[in-house]
Amino acid sequence: MRGRQVAIAALVASVTTVGCATTMAVSSHVERGLDFSRYHSFSWGPADALPKGDPRLDNDPFYKDHVLGAVEKQLAKRGFELTTTGAADLLIHYHANIRKRFAIDRGAQAYDSCNGANCPPETIAYEEGTLVLDFIDARTNRLVWRGWARNTVEDTLRNRDKMARRVDQAVTEMLKRLPPH
Amino acid sequence: MRVSRARSATIAALLLSASTTIGCAALTVNSYVEPRIDLRSYRTFNWAPADRLATGDPRLDNNQFFDERVRRQVERGLAGRGFEQTTDAPDLLVHYHASVSQEIDTRNIDREYEHSDAHEYEPQVYDAGTLVIDLVEARTNRLIWRGWAEGNIDGLIDNQESLQKQIDEAVAHILSRLPRQL
Repeated sequence: MRGRQVAIAALVASVTTVGCATTMAVSSHVERGLDFSRYHSFSWGPADALPKGDPRLDNDPFYKDHVLGAVEKQLAKRGFELTTTGAADLLIHYHANIRKRFAIDRGAQAYDSCNGANCPPETIAYEEGTLVLDFIDARTNRLVWRGWARNTVEDTLRNRDKMARRVDQAVTEMLKRLPPH
Repeated sequence: MRVSRARSATIAALLLSASTTIGCAALTVNSYVEPRIDLRSYRTFNWAPADRLATGDPRLDNNQFFDERVRRQVERGLAGRGFEQTTDAPDLLVHYHASVSQEIDTRNIDREYEHSDAHEYEPQVYDAGTLVIDLVEARTNRLIWRGWAEGNIDGLIDNQESLQKQIDEAVAHILSRLPRQL
């Protein structure tokens, strides 16, 4: 019974915090008090050297194209202009990482198929992917905004269509958190 | 089919509870001092070159907001204890390292399951954070003091304000273990 309440609470939380019924967790950090209306243009900054945590994301042009495409589309909607020659106001780069995570599976309890001692919880391992977007003020070289989305990637790494949709959704949800521009 | 559905629902619930549950948990603070070292004989400090080590969490790797908050609090804390920051031949070089790892709390699993409210005897998974602050003698490049704080930071990284509070608290607790300079 309580398991079911938790499941319902989680469902409600997913609808209210993310805005649609997905399993994605999205958040961001921002430079407080900064007026984002000063930024009009962006270009892609050099990639960082941080560990990806997984060889399946290294040098994957499909993944890269989709991230770049999704960001460019969303930022164009918000009135930012992509600069390919000359100086832009913002440098953007992304970072993708996969790490092993654990969760407690209370599934059987949540579905009421058993209770108490008959179904002790199970520890399950899954792979969590994180996509991080960094916005850097090109003039000061300071980070002004970082957004990220986390989700399980078990069903996306081997399915390119699903991955493309997941990337679109991650970027869209993340950029909703950008300060008013 | 049903199992895998339940499983992804669990992952969903966990991801979300991690991002919505916020609260400052208890910190465990410790320090180590090199034998026969009198910390009162050091007066000045500066930052050592950053180590750029991975933190174990992509949200914190290379995160300038996090880095600046830690540095600001360390500088304030050291100043408050009478240490002076200088670029001119400092006595001490300071560096810090933060790491995040997922922990599974299994304390209750071995108890008898059926004699109690089942949910209180289930394992818990949470993100644990560790912040380490090192003081290195500049002249010899020897580590003379290390202080650290560890705690449950589940949900904190996703909330900038709570994370900052946790940083402030952790740094203050760690540095309170240093002697006050006269």
